[in-house]
Amino acid sequence: MTKALTYESINVGDAMPTFTSDPITRTHIVRYAGASGDFNPLHHDETFAKMFGMPRIISHGMLVMGITGRAITEWIDDKNLRKFGVRFSAMTEPMDLDDPGSKDRATIIVTGTVVEKFEEAGEKRIRCEIQSADATGNVKIMGSFVAAVS
Amino acid sequence: MADKSKLGLEFPPYVYEVERGKIAEFAIAISQKESKSQIKQIYADSAAAKAAGYKDVIPSPTFQTCFALWGGEGLMPMIQAININLGRLLHGEEEYEYLAPIYPGDVMTGVTKVVDMYDKEKKGKPGKFMEFTVLETEIKNQRGEVVIRNRTTLVER
Repeated sequence: MTKALTYESINVGDAMPTFTSDPITRTHIVRYAGASGDFNPLHHDETFAKMFGMPRIISHGMLVMGITGRAITEWIDDKNLRKFGVRFSAMTEPMDLDDPGSKDRATIIVTGTVVEKFEEAGEKRIRCEIQSADATGNVKIMGSFVAAVS
Repeated sequence: MADKSKLGLEFPPYVYEVERGKIAEFAIAISQKESKSQIKQIYADSAAAKAAGYKDVIPSPTFQTCFALWGGEGLMPMIQAININLGRLLHGEEEYEYLAPIYPGDVMTGVTKVVDMYDKEKKGKPGKFMEFTVLETEIKNQRGEVVIRNRTTLVER
């Protein structure tokens, strides 16, 4: 366990703990489709993906955002999250189980940095910029979040 | 091609009752796990959530994506209403503002509006455009409190 965050102890430039996901598989994507209700066939039906010139299905961007949210809430308490926004910059393909070399393209690494400390709505808050990239360095998400810190 | 005449369109409100099981199912999915016992317990176990200072289990940060997809008519009618080609649809941006807590049994009502539509020329491909559609959703609970403000940017490549 990391020690409790306090407004006084945290500084602009501090890094949030780096989070590394499991490699995303087709099973993770199917589970996410069912959980979220997003049944766009691009995320589970390879024959549909191929009609649009893609070699295989792609993950929901929202699964990668969900993983990014998990990284954030392993660091700050869920109840302290005030804003969370991302821009999706690349698609994420799942690993092929018969190709161990494809693992890195499906592994999401979330990093973040505190960029601002401020007071808003009567509470002390921090803003962090975050990035989620795969293990080859391909950036999937750039974004930020705001959290209350006591 | 996204139909620009849809700017300002307001979709019919959706109503979604937050279910305990769905909160856990969603948390398992984003945690890449197999069962409730493997995830953070504030998403799965009421007693653990209370011990952590919550009234009951709470949803994980992107859970509200379920509201429109399960509470509304799903993705397809919305995409068809704006006339976006599904195979060319990409998710551009997603943003949430969290204004009040959400617990099982809460009834969410969301109203989504098309607030912006614009084109951007593709990099290195003069004359070829990406089309952007921006949706804003205000989600209220059964007491009429705004719990989430959400902004979604869809891109047709």
